[in-house]
Amino acid sequence: MTETIETVRVSVKVNGEEAVRDVEPRRQLVDFLRHDLGLTGTHVGCEQGVCGMCTVLFDGEPIKSCLMLAPQADGHEITTVESLNGEELHPLQRAFKEHHGLQCGYCTPAMLMTALALGRRGVPLDREQLEEELAGVLCRCTGYQKIYDAVESYLAETAGSGGTA
Amino acid sequence: MKPAPFVYERAGSVEEALAMLQRYEGDARLLAGGQSLVPLLNMRLLMPSAVIDVNDVPGLDEIREEGDEVAIGALTRYSRIEWSPTLVSRLPLLTETVRYVGDRQVRTRGTLGGSLAHADPTGEMPLAAIALGATVVVQSQAGRRAVPAEEFFLGPYYTVLEPEEMVVEVRFPVRRTVSAIAEHARRHGDFAVISVAAVGEPNGDGGWKSVRVALGGVADTPILAVEASALLSGTSLEPDVVARAGEMALAAADPPTDVRASADYRRHLIPIYVRRTLELLQTRRSEGAR
Amino acid sequence: MTEIVERQTEQTRKSFIGQRRTRVEDERLVRGLGRFVDDVDPPRLVHMALVRCPYPRARIVSIDASAARALPGVLEVLLPEDVLERTDPITILRPIPDAPAIMPRALADGEALYEGQPVVSVCAVSRYIAEDAAGLIEVEYEPQPFVVDVLKAIEDDAPILHEHMGTNVVVTNPRGDGDPERGFEESDVVVEDTFSINRVSGLPMETRAILADWTPGVKTLHVRASTQAPHLFRRQLAQSLRLPEADIRVTCDDVGGAFGLKLGIFAEDLLACVHSMDLGRPVKWVEDRMEFFRGATQARESVHQAKLGVSSDGLIVSYTNRYYVDAGAHNSPMGSPMLSSLMFQGPYKFPNGYVERNVVLTNKVPVGAYRGYGQPEGSFVREVLLDRAARKIEMDRLEIRRKNFIRPDDMPWQTIGGAKYDSGDYRACLDMAAETIGYEDVLLRQAEARADGRYVGVGFGCYVEMTGYPGSKFLGKHNAQYGAHEGVVVRANRSGGVDVYTGVPPIGQSTETAFGQVAATVIGLDPGNVRVFAGDTHGTPVNTGSFASRTLIAGSGAIERAGREVREKALRVAAHMLDVPVETLELEDSVITSTQGPRITFEEVALNAFYAHRMPEGELPGLEATAYYDPISNAFAYGTAAAIVEVDPESGEFTLERFLFVHDCGTQVNPLLVEGQLHGGIAQALGAALFEEIVYDQESGQLVNGSMIDYFMPTAADLPRIELGHTEVASPVTPFGVRGIGESGTIPPGAAVANALADALSPFGVDINRLPLTAEYVWRLLAAKQAAR
Repeated sequence: MTETIETVRVSVKVNGEEAVRDVEPRRQLVDFLRHDLGLTGTHVGCEQGVCGMCTVLFDGEPIKSCLMLAPQADGHEITTVESLNGEELHPLQRAFKEHHGLQCGYCTPAMLMTALALGRRGVPLDREQLEEELAGVLCRCTGYQKIYDAVESYLAETAGSGGTA
Repeated sequence: MKPAPFVYERAGSVEEALAMLQRYEGDARLLAGGQSLVPLLNMRLLMPSAVIDVNDVPGLDEIREEGDEVAIGALTRYSRIEWSPTLVSRLPLLTETVRYVGDRQVRTRGTLGGSLAHADPTGEMPLAAIALGATVVVQSQAGRRAVPAEEFFLGPYYTVLEPEEMVVEVRFPVRRTVSAIAEHARRHGDFAVISVAAVGEPNGDGGWKSVRVALGGVADTPILAVEASALLSGTSLEPDVVARAGEMALAAADPPTDVRASADYRRHLIPIYVRRTLELLQTRRSEGAR
Repeated sequence: MTEIVERQTEQTRKSFIGQRRTRVEDERLVRGLGRFVDDVDPPRLVHMALVRCPYPRARIVSIDASAARALPGVLEVLLPEDVLERTDPITILRPIPDAPAIMPRALADGEALYEGQPVVSVCAVSRYIAEDAAGLIEVEYEPQPFVVDVLKAIEDDAPILHEHMGTNVVVTNPRGDGDPERGFEESDVVVEDTFSINRVSGLPMETRAILADWTPGVKTLHVRASTQAPHLFRRQLAQSLRLPEADIRVTCDDVGGAFGLKLGIFAEDLLACVHSMDLGRPVKWVEDRMEFFRGATQARESVHQAKLGVSSDGLIVSYTNRYYVDAGAHNSPMGSPMLSSLMFQGPYKFPNGYVERNVVLTNKVPVGAYRGYGQPEGSFVREVLLDRAARKIEMDRLEIRRKNFIRPDDMPWQTIGGAKYDSGDYRACLDMAAETIGYEDVLLRQAEARADGRYVGVGFGCYVEMTGYPGSKFLGKHNAQYGAHEGVVVRANRSGGVDVYTGVPPIGQSTETAFGQVAATVIGLDPGNVRVFAGDTHGTPVNTGSFASRTLIAGSGAIERAGREVREKALRVAAHMLDVPVETLELEDSVITSTQGPRITFEEVALNAFYAHRMPEGELPGLEATAYYDPISNAFAYGTAAAIVEVDPESGEFTLERFLFVHDCGTQVNPLLVEGQLHGGIAQALGAALFEEIVYDQESGQLVNGSMIDYFMPTAADLPRIELGHTEVASPVTPFGVRGIGESGTIPPGAAVANALADALSPFGVDINRLPLTAEYVWRLLAAKQAAR
């Protein structure tokens, strides 16, 4: 007894792999990633575009995936925290661990994606600029202090390696 | 907090989008950056029958220099404006203003046209458009029309746009101006409690001409402080003139009380922020900034 | 006499306590592989959504759910009459002393008492459709007179929320010593004011969430919960659902922040379980942020009428604080905060004192526990008044504090509020704070700035914090539905490691890392060989949970005991295997070595213990121990916060130039984690002090700012760099000398900033008496002064 629901086809490259699904037009991209593709590393915090928990990279740039409809991702590339995962921690993940840049871990994937894009942009940032770049993801546990430390050290490391890490 | 059902339409061209708008007879919403629309959909504060996605419309996100104007496509994203070398040199107020808009994620997606069409009275892009004397180019199946920015906004979230019209481009005059913006907000990236933008052309003698002062958050729409602007033009922004301009701006305002600030406090801040913005203008001129 | 905890003093083995170690939790969390409730989608999953009352108070006249029931994809609609008969009211975990329990129900019973109270519940194949269905349910409400202001609620003609009570004042709890009124007469200077503390939200980034999965026929309920206390959750579910505990399993893998807000069960938890039991399918409810601001417990709001009398030489003679807690419409499992009273005295001694707590009901979301549990409020009031008194008698703010501090040789100290401080050197923290912030230099700079028309100020706030509970007997006297203890199972595994099982779930507090360090130290292994399994009621001993800054105190005691048992048994088994006397053996780095030469690995011993092939006579198989530890007393953390501000008196805007926090949490098991806990607590305190406030409209009774858009939680760009310092006086009453650290950061920052502002603006003579400290508020204070001139 399911509703006859109009669906649209979404074909999207997520972390380098093609995914094709038929979804309701109203489906939020974050629900598509989490519940249709099973990539639960990206979280949901407000669905109002404020907290930034659902940050992923859309064609390489950070977006809030609660504010994008799944059909809008058709033909685009999405990068989530799962893209960083290998046997060893990614340098960015390692920086967060070493600097205690997380406590409950709920905002962490969003922070990582935001910082990853910053590293790729490769523009030097002072502390105030860095704070502004990170302001799109809220964290209730850390007071942000050790998150800055982690991101700062990661950016210094990537700058040293040509900004490609 | 999930949107109510709607039909999803993807427009491949402006013409197609306009035809869709016509077809839904006012019950469709254009989806550009989605940074204002989608929260409203999620909260079911808006439940349109259709959402028309214009993100794939080609040619709507160009920044072009045309004579003494810069034309910016409606779909141009904030980050693009922030980082555009053309705009950094030709319209620095725009790039500076973007830094008050939301956060990085919002700037990746949010668009100039979407911001103007959304018409938040505290919106920074509408403010900058008014301060810079921009023209909003609006199109329907009947054709195009150009609306001066200061006539575009009619009220909170309410513009001259007819249901079958869309913003396609915003044209900014480019002159040898100096500009500045100042804002009071409750936290970083939040909606402005009040914001003031000012633009002026330096005169050879240390004076200023064609000064325009605009205010956000102090009325139903962002406003051009017409009398204050007229008073300031042709002066050297002497302190007493600036003070009088602040009072005139105050007289033109009718600020609201909301959870961010009371009307009283907004009124109190108006002359202060007008002064600060004009001081910043002076400083930038003396530092040789544009 | 304070009992002194027995402590193993002969520890000569390698200790991992005090080491700055990265966290074991991070391995999964930085990969996005934590398992939060919404990360689990079992087959046949269905989703719940609620209809919530849109009025501050309304009688429910009728409900028409026919359109919702007819919507394809809808599986069940529960009306109040469907649920109220089948569920019992939710038990209160920490009842308010001497107060009637006003227990929440699963759905509003005839009348809803606050905006957001659940009225109808819907289950459907997706959350999207469940919300569609909720939107189709027509409820006819008859709005009723309401009250959303705590002081109006105590007036004679106020609408009474629960008519059988005849009043909105749930209880008045007085406590005092000496003769406060005579004390004020004898004082040279008396300062008094009414202080308003803002209503705020703990605001975890993960909202409340539950996945309830009933297996029909077998009749068992497996619940995944986002909670601080899975065992309490299980108990409360069993009570309200009338099920034996054996039929309920609560699993809590990862929690995305809690801060006191996720203690106990709530109406939505019962509803999800009832749906699952009816449908025989897993039911998920993940609170959305709109619901959160209307349903999740809120915090702090209170009005304090406080009065402080001092002698001209700066001694506190008398201090009183009569306060009114705005508790919302009914009790929450942990509401309302107790510690404004217990800790009202702070670090000072004085002969006359009185504190009175009045818990008052209003038509607002119920108040619950939030990090600090009353201590930030009480600390703010006391420290602000103390500064005012100092200004009046023209005494330095540090000096007045030094004069009144309870001194180390005064300990243990019985307070008027009813606490017994164990130990501490309060002055040491204040002195370190003053020196680090450069107090004398700031005063010089202040004078120079003023000459320049700029207003700089420095302020301090001191605190003592109750951490942990003084034992289960104490809680018994308060009729709490839990004990003060923690229990653990420590079990060797056959790879030579040790598994620790605890009911304390991971909520960001780093228990797995800290417990691992303690267990490794006690047993003689590397922490890398200890695994902590947390938060599942299957397989962990019944415990209390993660709250009240008590987990490490009670938990380390339990690990210490169980670990020692495992270690001693391992040595006995090793002695048998090596054929050497047990006294000759030492276990370190996973190897048992005899002074006589032979050695054997812990792995071999553990393997043998489980095979039981070669055990000493009378020794049972296995290598594990279960132990409980019940604290013998509270440990009291303490410290000083300091802030420097610069104010623009024209606009009221100010910047927090520096913020410093000097504290003592006794022995630090892991300084890295201590810093993290402080940073987070301080950020929450600064959020509440500068930005955050939940606002209700007095006219309409409606919540004004129920979204993340309008609730101003600070971002990364809104907070100052936080500087930390610490002293380390080991507590004599806890295992390893630890004091709790989870809540300290929340307590004194508000006072430090308020005092810095008042200091900066002292030429204007403004008195600060509320939170949050917004620019508009500062402007209003100054405008009022100007108008008065």
